[in-house]
Amino acid sequence: MTDIAKKESLPAGGRSRSRIGRSVFWLIPILLLPVPLFLDQYRQYVVNLILVYVPVGIGFNIVVGNLGLLAFSNVAFFGIGAYTSGVLALKLGLPWWATVLPAGIMGALAGSAASVPALRGVRLFYLAIMTLAFGELLRWVYIRWVPVTGGSFGMAVPKPSVFGLPLLTEGHKFYAFLFLVVLMVILTNRLLRSRFGRAFMAIKSNEQAAAAMGIPTDRYILLAFAWGGFVVGIGGSMYAALVGHVTPIAFDLTELILEFAIIMVGGLGSLVGSVLGAIVITSAPEFFRNWLGFQELLFGVLIVVVILFLPRGLASLLARLHPIFVDRYYRD
Amino acid sequence: MAALLELTDVSVRFGGLTAVDNVSLSVAAGEVCALIGPNGAGKTTLFNAVSGNAVINSGAIRFQGEEIHRLTPHQISAKGVRRTFQNGGLFAHLTALENVLVGLHTRVDSSFLGLLASAPASRRAESAATARARELLDLMQVGHVADNLASDLSGGQQRMVEIVRALATEPPLLLLDEPAVGLAPHMREQLGQIIRRLAGERGIGILLIEHAIELVMNVSDRVVVLNYGKKVADAPPAQVRADKAVLEAYLGHA
Ligand SMILES: Nc1ncnc2c1ncn2[C@@H]1O[C@H](COP(=O)(O)OP(=O)(O)OP(=O)(O)O)[C@@H](O)[C@H]1O
Ligand SMILES: [Mg+2]
Repeated sequence: MTDIAKKESLPAGGRSRSRIGRSVFWLIPILLLPVPLFLDQYRQYVVNLILVYVPVGIGFNIVVGNLGLLAFSNVAFFGIGAYTSGVLALKLGLPWWATVLPAGIMGALAGSAASVPALRGVRLFYLAIMTLAFGELLRWVYIRWVPVTGGSFGMAVPKPSVFGLPLLTEGHKFYAFLFLVVLMVILTNRLLRSRFGRAFMAIKSNEQAAAAMGIPTDRYILLAFAWGGFVVGIGGSMYAALVGHVTPIAFDLTELILEFAIIMVGGLGSLVGSVLGAIVITSAPEFFRNWLGFQELLFGVLIVVVILFLPRGLASLLARLHPIFVDRYYRD
Repeated sequence: MAALLELTDVSVRFGGLTAVDNVSLSVAAGEVCALIGPNGAGKTTLFNAVSGNAVINSGAIRFQGEEIHRLTPHQISAKGVRRTFQNGGLFAHLTALENVLVGLHTRVDSSFLGLLASAPASRRAESAATARARELLDLMQVGHVADNLASDLSGGQQRMVEIVRALATEPPLLLLDEPAVGLAPHMREQLGQIIRRLAGERGIGILLIEHAIELVMNVSDRVVVLNYGKKVADAPPAQVRADKAVLEAYLGHA
């Protein structure tokens, strides 16, 4: 009797402890609130750029890290989001805040389109090259569709505003971005910790066995791409608001490699990792600014060193510090 | 009584090779039917045909009276045909518990929007499924490894967890592909008892591929023997043991 009672209470205790542990994460955005008080405009800009790359990393990581498909269409979703936001603001005069959701939806549509080769059974390097081509195809559209996109020179995006309040300073943008980032992290976390996230991981592990468990794998592959595209598309709208200028060159292969570095350095399949990767990859070049002429070299060395010594990314380092940092599906 | 699973003149060809050759067989509810035969006889291919992983070139497969051979694997699974895999089909990136939760996937009543909104109904469905999965693992005496990664389990534990996962939804038909491989003798015995109980108490129909002949003889109501894709015997275990064609099938390959 006592034995059974002990056995029952053990996992329950473990679960409630981790719930208290996880609520600590709420402190992070709260602690970040006063950040603009301490930073000059330029440093605040860099912090905002980090916030842009958090959803970009999160969306990419869902497809590559959780679903386990080698799809490199992420930069396409980012670009679509940025252009959607820019075009709606410039051509239709919509305020920035009203363009965020459409940017996400367009990202989700681009994600659905990019999932077609995967749904046809294309995998590995073949999938990689086809999804790369998708990103390049969109770049061709940005360059050619001059009346809408402004062509190679891109377009200037009107100053962003939220419910009639203009975001005049980098500090103002910070709060709008922080809100969106926290929202995307929470929603994605809920998704990944449910039967949807489990289905993604099951597909990554063994597609045939996943189907044998009644999972319509095609539907879940489509869903992972669409949700990934949605989150990245929102990142795109933030980018448009931050930079104020959208050009095709911002969504080229170099950009894609940078985004890939975010999830590799952060940790594949880890939500915490996407955040860490965005912080490190976006801010590192700022620290190397003093070593003029060696910036790219140092940046490259940093990436190599992290991946060499932490093949599971920075998330694995954090997970070793405390169990609450272990993502449900992240395994060291 | 109508058969739970019924194969009529089923053939599966890979190019010039006929892996399953005009096989007819049936499994009734509550029956344990063993499928034996030498390596390469077509046993796994027959499983694949039933579960929708292999296309049949002729014949028909019916489950609960309904043709299933044109359905996709997930549709067949959702109808209540569950299987294990010869080479171990556990999801290596997930824990034992999460593996069983994937087994329960079609029974977890949480919706996409419900989860995003963290609606109580969806949250409840998720935690109810988790409790159920733990219970099932405890029942099969692998509860203590529930939170271990599948890839960290011993061979025997992996087999057990895979069976729990296949059974989680209490499917009417269970296909077990060499479940005793890598099991210690006492676990083999335990597995035999589990198989008997599932059939006897729950009325589950079981099709069992197994090379461990003593297990086959102990648990099955009927033994079907395949050789070069053809059915060469279909009889109670004692009878099959004495069958000439069966002996030839094995000796011919030895
Ligand atoms: N996908 C496939 N493509 C081509 N040939 C296949 C395929 N799957 C199986 N075969 C062939 O079909 C024949 C039957 O294989 P199967 O795996 O069904 O045998 P088995 O009875 O399960 O053998 P074992 O006891 O070794 O598991 C073998 O000759 C095998 O090489
Ligand atoms: Mg086999």
